[in-house]
Amino acid sequence: MLLRRLLTVFVLMVFIVLTSYTVTVLNVFGELPPRSLRPLAFWFINTSITPWLSYFSAMAPETVTAIIWDYRGLDTLFETAVFYFAIIASIALFRGIEEKSSRGRYAGLSKIVRVVSRILLPVNIAVAASIAVHGTITPGGGFQAGSAMAVAPLILIIVFSRFFLKEKGLSKNLLIALRGVGLVGIGIASILVLIVGLLSGSYAFIFQNQPKINAPIGLPSEILGFPIAGTLFIFNIFEFIAVFAGFTIIFILLSIPEDIAREALHDEH
Amino acid sequence: MMNINLYMFTFTIIIVSLIVNLALSLYGVLVKPNIVKKIISLTILGDSANTFAILIGYRAIYPVSPPVQLNIPPSPSDVFQLTSLSVDPLPQALVLTAIVIGLAVNIFLIFLAIQIHRLYGTLDMREIARIKGVGYE
Repeated sequence: MLLRRLLTVFVLMVFIVLTSYTVTVLNVFGELPPRSLRPLAFWFINTSITPWLSYFSAMAPETVTAIIWDYRGLDTLFETAVFYFAIIASIALFRGIEEKSSRGRYAGLSKIVRVVSRILLPVNIAVAASIAVHGTITPGGGFQAGSAMAVAPLILIIVFSRFFLKEKGLSKNLLIALRGVGLVGIGIASILVLIVGLLSGSYAFIFQNQPKINAPIGLPSEILGFPIAGTLFIFNIFEFIAVFAGFTIIFILLSIPEDIAREALHDEH
Repeated sequence: MMNINLYMFTFTIIIVSLIVNLALSLYGVLVKPNIVKKIISLTILGDSANTFAILIGYRAIYPVSPPVQLNIPPSPSDVFQLTSLSVDPLPQALVLTAIVIGLAVNIFLIFLAIQIHRLYGTLDMREIARIKGVGYE
């Protein structure tokens, strides 16, 4: 037993020393952190918003958003798919438990906590909506906004109890439907320019945003002077809805009282 | 302005501590018998890797700015100014993707852990192996 523990410590030390040596002395990743931009990063920043080079540009002031939903849009689509399947799998694991749990049991925290959370919840929602809408001009976007928004039902569950949420109409099935709306919106936004192109009889690509050479159709890059960068704004809004609904489903499922869950499991066997 | 050697040495300390973090979280995932501790170690592993990716995309210059164009619409000199100050945006985009996928995996693992606890009454791998009648080595 002692020998095994010593061997583990030895292996860990060797791992730490060798990896540190390769990264800091041999510089396998180059000088860390680098002083100059890599050529790829130079290209991304140089084309993220350049009205005089509009055929190469995503027209989004926020380069990270431009990369996520324009240059590498398919990556993000599949990432959304992974997130979707993880939540579907989690719901499937807990199937049959939710339906039997609608007992009117109110616990809730003290009055002070409830009043404070009533005041703070609108602030939370406003911040989340602001992150989603300003996704193209400030750091943040659909994922961050959805995560921030999902804090609101989490607070509601902890402060008021999960049955309060159900009473207010925010049930699991409604949230699954909302998540469906978000995902369908993302799907439509990814082929929106293609549909317009097919209807008007010109070339267009899947995941196209701004007009390209040979594909002259694109979405407007700004509305009333606010840079929405075409599809990027739509993606951010629908991702916001989808992530918010997904997280809220998870919180609702995780907050099922343990005795009810055990009862449901016991009935199943 | 800080001494440049001291500045780079600070980053070396950060890199080494991230690697120590990686090693410890690998230890947790592989050796710890409790499933919750395994999941915690896995999140630390993912976060260390993400921090390392962000560090690769950082720039050792002063001042340094986020990759966000503030002048809309920009002139060519604004874009040049941004390329001379901005950090690398690509690792940030990749890390954002990695965080969300890590989160999805964590959610699924947590649900599995809860279900295991409901079925076996424990989260200790050795206990579960004993209940199932198989050896744990």
